Amino acid sequence: MLYIVLAIIGGFLTILSMVVNAGLGKEIGVFRGTFINYVVGLSLILIMVLMLGSFLDIKTLASIPFYAFLGGALGVIIVASSNVIIPKIPAIYTVLLNFIGQIVAGIIIDYIRFDFISKGKIIGGILVILGILYNSMIDKKQLRDGNNA
Amino acid sequence: MYKLYAILIGVLITIMVTFNGVLESHIGNFLAVLVIHIVGLSSISLILLLRQERPTIKKGIPLYLYTGGAIGILLVLVNNICFSNLGASLTLSLGVFGQLLLSSIIDHFGLMGMKAYKFQLKKLIGFSIILVGLIIMTIY
Repeated sequence: MLYIVLAIIGGFLTILSMVVNAGLGKEIGVFRGTFINYVVGLSLILIMVLMLGSFLDIKTLASIPFYAFLGGALGVIIVASSNVIIPKIPAIYTVLLNFIGQIVAGIIIDYIRFDFISKGKIIGGILVILGILYNSMIDKKQLRDGNNA
Repeated sequence: MYKLYAILIGVLITIMVTFNGVLESHIGNFLAVLVIHIVGLSSISLILLLRQERPTIKKGIPLYLYTGGAIGILLVLVNNICFSNLGASLTLSLGVFGQLLLSSIIDHFGLMGMKAYKFQLKKLIGFSIILVGLIIMTIY
C-alpha cells in the first residue's frame, strides 16, 4: 500500500516538475533550464550522499551492466524531445500517447525481467487507456465550448 | 507523425525507469540518483555545447523556478523505490493516475498561474475506469 501511494505521489511530482521546468524554460530557454535543473539536482544529491557517508567503489561500478548508466542520458533526451513534440500535438493527447508507449513497453519489460506475461496488466492497462481517452474527450469538448463562448 | 513520437517518448520513459531501477538495485537509491545526475548533467552540457548556448542565470525571476532539480531528485528516488517493489507497468500506471489527479486539481482551482477549468463530474467516469484498471493490475 505504501508503494502504491508513493507511486501516485511520483505522478504528482511529475506534473510539478513539468510546470516548474516549463516556467524556467520560458525565462531562459529549455536547454539552459534543463542544465540549471541538473546543476541544482546534482548539488543536492551530492550533499545528501556525503551526509550519508556512502561511497562508490570502482569494483561495484565495474560489475554493473553498462546500459544501467544510460538512464540519466535518456532523461535528458526525453526532456529535449518532449519540448519539440508537445507543442505540436494537442496537450490532451500527450498523456494518452505517452502512456500507451509506457504501458506497452512496461508489459514487455516485465515479461523480459520476470518471464511472465500478466493478463491482469494487459486488461488493466487497456482499461486505464480507455479511462484516459474518455476524460481526454471531455477535456477536448470543454476547451472547444470554452473557446466558442 | 508527431503522435508516433509521443508514443516513442513513452517507451523511452519506461526504458529509463527500468535502467535507473537496475542501477538502484546495484548501488542503492541515493548513489543511483547521484550517478543518474552526473550522466544527465554531462548529456545536457554536451547538448548546450553543440547548440552553442551558454548557461545563464537570470535575475529577478521567481525563486521556485529553480526548484525543478530538487523535485527531479525526489521523483527519481520515488520511482526507483516503487520500480523495485511494484514492477515497471504498475509504477508507471499509478504515476499516470497521480498526474491526472493533480492536473485536475490544478485545472479546477487554476493553481500555479494556470487558467481555471472547472472539474466536470463526468470525468469521474473516466477516473473510475482508470481505477478499476489499476486495481486489476495490482491484484493480478
